[in-house]
Amino acid sequence: MRGSINRPPTPDAEDDQIQEKQLTFQEIIDIKLIESGEKERLKELLRERLIECGWRDEMKALCRAFAQKKGRDNVTLDDLVQLLTPKGRASVPDSVKAELLQRIRSFLASAAI
Amino acid sequence: MLSFWHNFVDTIFVLIASKGLSLQLSSHFFGDLLDSIIVDVASECHRIARLGLDRNLEEEEEEMRLSAQARLRVADPSNSSEANGKYIVDIFGQNHPSVASEIFECMNCGRSVMAGKFAPHLEKCMGKGRKARLKVTRSSTAAQNRNSRGSPASAYSPYSNSTSSNRLSNGTSSVAGEEYSNGAFEDP
Repeated sequence: MRGSINRPPTPDAEDDQIQEKQLTFQEIIDIKLIESGEKERLKELLRERLIECGWRDEMKALCRAFAQKKGRDNVTLDDLVQLLTPKGRASVPDSVKAELLQRIRSFLASAAI
Repeated sequence: MLSFWHNFVDTIFVLIASKGLSLQLSSHFFGDLLDSIIVDVASECHRIARLGLDRNLEEEEEEMRLSAQARLRVADPSNSSEANGKYIVDIFGQNHPSVASEIFECMNCGRSVMAGKFAPHLEKCMGKGRKARLKVTRSSTAAQNRNSRGSPASAYSPYSNSTSSNRLSNGTSSVAGEEYSNGAFEDP
């Protein structure tokens, strides 16, 4: 008998899918957002609003101040992300946030439920 | 009846839950989008910092600040204006005397002249304009003789200059009159 005959059977593609982690509801929505192109549109909308209201300039100023203090060559991308995340999230104008939330909820209503 | 009521309550619950779910989900996705944009901005700033591009930005900002200051100074009514004082303040905050005072050499006659007086000097020096005195040099002589109504024979002789121009300045009929008695270059 050849050794190769005794090797375990090749796993079925079907079996793989069943053993795979179930996608969460959130992940499913995410996929729908991306596939429909809405995620990209939402991101562009948010980016535009944040530029208009000066949020982006504020963030850039924070980064520049940080870089001057720490030394231009010592700054890592991680540093800046750590710096901007709390301040960035806190300083989004309410109107901008409301507009985006409304659009996302509309999408959820039309696509998900 | 009870089942109807149960269905009704269940529907309400589902609606409330789904609204809550909708809010929670939309917040989550908003956060996602925002984080993504934060990373973009951080990435751009990181690049600018490491490449030293903000150095140029600093200079630009300084320039803008200076020009804004200068603009304020100009707009300020308490500054002396051209009509009021001798000195004008320009947008850089510099004072200019009303007559330019730099001294240099006239390229025609070689004399030292003040920049602010150069135009009238040139008028006299090159022989154009009212009551300008005659200057006896080779260049002005040649110019006068070119334009004079005298005989061509005397054109290149330096000494005929006085006779020909004397003739003209004694009021001989010349089309342009007194102004041209000194051998002006152009016709009117």
